Amino acid sequence: MTEASILPLAAVLVSAVAMCLIIASYRYPNVREGWSVVAALTKFGIVASMLPGVMEGTTYYWSLSESLGVEFLAGIDFVLRADPLGMLFAMLASFLWIFTSFYAAGYMRGLDEHAQTRFFAAFAASLSTAIGIAFSGNLVTIFIFYELLSLVTYPLVAHNEDNEARIAGRKYLTYTFFGGGVFLLAGTVLVYWLTSSADPAGNAHLAFESGGIEMLAEAAAADPAIAQAAFYLLIAGFGVKAAVMPLHSWLADAMVAPTPVSGLLHAVAVVKSGAFGVARVILEVFGPGLIHDLPLNVPAIGEVGLNVPVAILAAFTLTAASIIAMRKDHLKRRLAFSTTAQLSYIVLGLSMLHPYAILGALFHIPAHAFGKLTLFFCAGAVHVETHTDYVSEMAGIGKRMPLTMSAFAIGAAGMAGMPLIAGFVSKFYMLIGSGSVGGGYWIFAAALILSGILNIAYLWPVVYTAFFESEDRHDAKPVLEFPPGGKRESYFADDEYATDGGEKPDSGHPQPAGDDDESESKGAGTPTELDDDEYEYAVDKYPSDHTASDDDHTDDGHDDTHNDAHDDHDDHHHGGPPASGWARHTPFSESTWLILVPISIIATGAVTLGVVPDYAVFLDLATYIVEGVFGVESFDELRGRSLAEALEVINE
Amino acid sequence: MSNLAELLPALLIAAPILLATVPIVLGLRFDRTGWSVAAITTTALFAATAYLAAAVYETGRVVHVLGGWGEPQGIGIELVADEFSVLIALLVTVTAAAVLAYTRTGGPRGNTFYTGYLLLVGGLLGLSMTGDVFNMFVFLEIVGLATYAMIASGDGPESAVAALKYLILGTLGASMYLIGVGFLFMATGALNMDVLGEAIPQIADNGGSDLTLLRAAFAFIFVGFALKVAQWPLHSWQPDAYQHAPDGVTPVIAALVSTVSAYALGRIMYNVFGPEFLTATPYLTEIVVTVGAVSVLAGSTLAVIQRDVKRMFAYSSVSQFGLIVVAYGLVTQTAFVGAVIHLIGHGVIKAGLFIGAGVVAVGYGARTVDEYAGLASNRPFAAGSIALLLIALIGIPPSAGFIGKWYIAVGAVEAELWPIAIVIFLSTMLTLAYSARLLEKMYFTPATGVDSPHPAGVATDGGRAGAVSIGMLGILIVTAIVAIGLGFAGGAFFEWLEPFTSEVFN
Amino acid sequence: MIDAAVDVLTTRYAYALMFVVMGIGMYMMIANENLVKKLIGVNLFQTAIFLFFVAVAYVEGGDAPIVPADPNPGELAMASPLPHVIVLTAIVVGIALTAVGLALLVRIYAEYGTLREDTLREVRADE
Repeated sequence: MTEASILPLAAVLVSAVAMCLIIASYRYPNVREGWSVVAALTKFGIVASMLPGVMEGTTYYWSLSESLGVEFLAGIDFVLRADPLGMLFAMLASFLWIFTSFYAAGYMRGLDEHAQTRFFAAFAASLSTAIGIAFSGNLVTIFIFYELLSLVTYPLVAHNEDNEARIAGRKYLTYTFFGGGVFLLAGTVLVYWLTSSADPAGNAHLAFESGGIEMLAEAAAADPAIAQAAFYLLIAGFGVKAAVMPLHSWLADAMVAPTPVSGLLHAVAVVKSGAFGVARVILEVFGPGLIHDLPLNVPAIGEVGLNVPVAILAAFTLTAASIIAMRKDHLKRRLAFSTTAQLSYIVLGLSMLHPYAILGALFHIPAHAFGKLTLFFCAGAVHVETHTDYVSEMAGIGKRMPLTMSAFAIGAAGMAGMPLIAGFVSKFYMLIGSGSVGGGYWIFAAALILSGILNIAYLWPVVYTAFFESEDRHDAKPVLEFPPGGKRESYFADDEYATDGGEKPDSGHPQPAGDDDESESKGAGTPTELDDDEYEYAVDKYPSDHTASDDDHTDDGHDDTHNDAHDDHDDHHHGGPPASGWARHTPFSESTWLILVPISIIATGAVTLGVVPDYAVFLDLATYIVEGVFGVESFDELRGRSLAEALEVINE
Repeated sequence: MSNLAELLPALLIAAPILLATVPIVLGLRFDRTGWSVAAITTTALFAATAYLAAAVYETGRVVHVLGGWGEPQGIGIELVADEFSVLIALLVTVTAAAVLAYTRTGGPRGNTFYTGYLLLVGGLLGLSMTGDVFNMFVFLEIVGLATYAMIASGDGPESAVAALKYLILGTLGASMYLIGVGFLFMATGALNMDVLGEAIPQIADNGGSDLTLLRAAFAFIFVGFALKVAQWPLHSWQPDAYQHAPDGVTPVIAALVSTVSAYALGRIMYNVFGPEFLTATPYLTEIVVTVGAVSVLAGSTLAVIQRDVKRMFAYSSVSQFGLIVVAYGLVTQTAFVGAVIHLIGHGVIKAGLFIGAGVVAVGYGARTVDEYAGLASNRPFAAGSIALLLIALIGIPPSAGFIGKWYIAVGAVEAELWPIAIVIFLSTMLTLAYSARLLEKMYFTPATGVDSPHPAGVATDGGRAGAVSIGMLGILIVTAIVAIGLGFAGGAFFEWLEPFTSEVFN
Repeated sequence: MIDAAVDVLTTRYAYALMFVVMGIGMYMMIANENLVKKLIGVNLFQTAIFLFFVAVAYVEGGDAPIVPADPNPGELAMASPLPHVIVLTAIVVGIALTAVGLALLVRIYAEYGTLREDTLREVRADE
C-alpha cells in the first residue's frame, strides 16, 4: 500500500530550512544552536510519525511530478519514499542528530572554534541530504542526494582551514565525487539504458522494488555483461562512502574534522549512506536472486555469483582495517579504521545474501552507529577537556574523565561484539547467516570471528591505559612503539614522564600481566610486528592509505608539518597529562553537561539495543525489510533454510 | 498563427541592428543614452521572443520568408523559428538583457559600446533564426565583427592584440565555412536548409562525385565551426579573448557567441546533413567525437593550471563545448537533447561565472586564483553565488549542468561508445579539479596579508572605482539561482524539443 | 593518373588556381611576422574563396546573368546569378572585416610602437 504524503519531503526539508535559519541568525549563537536542536527534534518527530504506518505496510511517498507537475528528467521522477529500509536509516540518523546537536554545541564552544555558523549550517544540510538518501525512491534521486551529501560535508572536513584540512578536503572531494559522480552515475545510466531497452514501451525503471527491479532482471538475462558492469559500478559508487578497500583512505584523513562531524557523519550519516546504498543496490535494485544467479566467469574458478567478489573485498577490508587500526596512535584515526572495518561487516553481511546475514547486516547499521558514536563522543570529550589525541598519552586519564572513559569501554565492547551490547546481536545473526550458507562461506565466518578478536586488540588497550595505568608508570605500546618482536623492557623509557628525577623506568621491572595479554592478543600472526618501519610497511601493504597523502603533501610543497597518522608527536600537538598528572574528577565535573548527557544517552542506547533488541524498533524494522525482500509473511518461514532454499522463496 | 508571430523573426533581427545606430545618433547630443536604448531594446526583444516561443509552442514552426520570395521554395531567404531556434533566441535575449544590469555601473561605457552590443544581439538572433546556409555566414560575420570590436573596447593594449588574434582566426573559421557552403551549393544547387535537407539523402544514395563534394563540404564546415566554437587544437584565440575583454563584455561573449556558433553547427549537422548522412559517412562521427573528447580532456587540463580566473573559465569553456561536440557526434536523440540543454545550461552558468569574476575584480581587486583567498568572508554573496555556479558547472544535481550531462551520458551509452562514455563520466572529475581549486581558495584559505597587485576598483574598462552596484551583485545571484533552478527542467526541455528531435531522427 | 591530373588542370584550372591562392593567403596568415601582412593574407584567402564562387557559377558559353530586354528571349545560357550575389555580399563583409582589423592594427601600433609579432611578443613579455 502506498500513500501520497508530504511527510518524507518535510523530513528532508526541515534541516534545509534550519540551515537557512542558522545562517540568518549567525549573530546569536544561542538562537543558532537552538535552531539546530529544534530542527533535530522536528525531524525526528516527522520521521517517527511515519513509523507506525510503515510497520503496518504503508509506504509514504512524495513525487515531484505528481505534486508539482515537474518531470525531473525525461521518464524519471523525483521521488521521496518512506519504505522500511529507508525508515531504518532515517530513524537512526534523525534520532542520533538530536544528541549530536547538543554535543556539537558543547564541543564547538568548548574549543572556541571559528566559523561555527558555517559548521552548524553544513551540519544541518548534511542531515537533510542524509535523510534524502534514506527516503530516495529511485536511483536518480539517491544519486542527487548522494552528490549533495558529498558537497555539504566538504566544508566540515576542511573546517580547520589549515593545510592538513585542505589536503584532507581535496582527498575527500576526489574520492567521494569519483564514487558518486563517476561510478554511481555511470551505474545509474547503465541501469537506465538496460531497463529502457528491455521494456517494450521504452520506459526506464529506476524505482527501487523490494527484491529487485523486475525489468532489470529481464534485461540482465539478455545482456549479462552490462548488468554486471552496472552492478559493480553501483557497488563501487556506494562502496567509496562505505570505505570498502581500496577506496577507504579518505576516511582516516577526514578525521581532521571536528569530532561531532567524525562522530555523526563519518561514523553514521555519511559512511552509512554508503552502506545503505549498497543495501539498496543488493536488496532493491538487483535483488539477491539476480545477484546470485547472474554468473560471473572467473578464470580458474568457474562461475560464481556477483556477490562473491564483493564479499571477499569486504572480508579483506574488515580484517586488514582492524590490523591497521592497532598501529594508529591517534585515537580518532584508530576509530576511523575501526569504522572502516565495521562498515565492511555490513557490506559483507549484505553480500552473503542469506536472510540471516542480511538481517544481521541491517541491524549492524544502528548497532554500530550507537557504539561508534559513543566512542567518537568520548574521543571528542577527551580532546575538548585535555587536548589529548594520542592513545599513548592517555595513561591514567580514567580518573580525569571517569564517565567518558566508562562509556568508551561500553562502546568498545560493542565494537568487539560482546554480548549485552548492540554489536553482539548483529554479529550473531551474521555468523548464523554465514554458517547457514555453507560451502566456502566458512571463510567469511572466520573473518568475522578474527576481526572480533582484533577489535578487542585495538580498543581494549585504550580502556586499559585509561583506567589501569598511571601517568608516570605505564606500559609501552609494543605494537606502536617497539621494533618487531618487542624489547625486553616493558616500561616506556621516556624522560618526559620521569618528572621527579627519580627512578627511570628500566628493564628491571617485572612485566605486568596486562602487557602480556596485550602482546599475545595482538602478537600472534599479525604482520604488524614483522616490520619496524611502519611507514614503509604501510606503503607496501596498503598503498592507497599512504602514498596518496604523501603525494598531496609534496604537491603542496610549502608545509612540512603535515600531520600523518604515524607521525606521533608532531609539533602542533599539545596533549598529554599536565605536569602534575591528571586531576581527579567526579563524573559530574569532568566536562559540561552538553557533552556528558549525549554520551550517556548514546551509550545507554547501545546497551539497550544489545539487551532488549526486540523492544528497540530497529530489529523489527530490519526483520520487516528482510521479509519484504524475500517476499515472505513472517521471518519464521526463512528460519533454518540454506541460501539456495531461501533464494527459492524469492522466486516463488 | 497570428500575422505578428510570422513577422517577428524578421523584426527580431532587424530591430536591434537598426536600433544600433540610435546610440550613436543620440550620442551627438546626449552623453549617456546607450544603456537606456540597449536596455529597452533587449527587454522588448525578450518579450517578443517569448511571444514567438508561445506561438511556436501552439502551432509549431513559424517561417518568415524575406521579401515574400516564397515560391519556388528555396529561392528566398527564410527565417525559421522552431523549438530549437526559439530556445537559443530566448537564451540570447535573456542573457543580453541581464548582462546590462552589470554593465550599467560595471562598464564598459560609451554609446559606441552599446551600438556594438545591439549589433551583436542582432547578429546572434539572426544566426539562430536563419534558415539559409549563406545567410548564416553573413550573420556569423556580423557576430564576429561585433565581438572583435567589443573585445577591443578594453582599456589595456592587450585587448587589441587579443581581438586581432580572434579576428584572424575567426575570419579563417568563417571562410572555411563559406568554402563548405560553396561545395554544398555545387553538389545541390541550393542554399536553403530545408531544400538541402531533402536533397542530401538522395545524393548520398546516388553516390558519385556529388557525394565527395558533400563530404568535403562537411569537412570544411566542421573545421570552420570547430574554430568558432574553440575546439582543441583550434581554441587558442579563446583564452586571450576572454581574459582581455572588458569584464562587462566577457559574460555576453562567453555565454552567447560560442554557444550560438555551436548551435549553428548542430543546425547544420542535423537539419542540413541529417543523422543518416552523419552515420553513413565513414569515420565522420568518430572524428567529431574524438575532437570533442580531446577538447574535454585538454580544456580541463589546461584550466587546472591557469592562474588567472577568467582564463581558467575560458579553458573550461573549451572543455564544456567539447562535451557538446561529443554529444553531436553521438547521433542519438537523447544525446542531441543533452547537447541543446548543455548549450543553454553552460551559457547561463558561464555568463554567471564571468559576471562573478567581474564583480570580484571590481569589488575585491582579485583576478588570479590565489587572490581569491578569503573571498567567502569578505564578499559572502559574491562568493556564494560563484560557488553555486561552480557546483552547477561540475554537474552536481540539481543544476543545469547535471541535466545536460545526464542526457549526453545516456546518449553515449545508447550509442554504445564506451570510451566516450568514460570520458563523459570522467569529465565530472576534471571539472571538479579546477572548480574545487577555486572553491577551496574562496572558502578554506584565509586571506593573505599580501596586497593584491591589482588595487581594488581599477576595472580594465574604466568602470566606477570600487563600486559594485546592487544590479551587478543582484544579477550574479539571480544567475546562480537560475542555474540551479534549471536543474528541475530536465523533463520540460526534453518535452519541448520532442517535436523537433522526433522529426530529425525519424 | 597523369592524364587525370592534366584533365583536371585543363578543365578545372580555376579551382586549382583558387586553392593555390588560398594556400598562399593561409601561409601568410600563419607564417608572416608582420601583422599588416597577416591581414593581407586574410584578404587573399577570402578573395580566393570569392573567385571560387565565381568559377562555380560559370556555365560554359553563358552570358552575364542580366535580365534581357526581350520579354521572350528563348533559350539562354547564363551564368548562375546566385553565387554572384553571394560574392557581392561576402565582399562587403570582407571589407568590414578588413576595416576592423586595420583599426585594431592602428591601436596596437599606438600602444606598442610595432607591428611585428615577434617584437610584440618581446614587448609583452617584458611587461
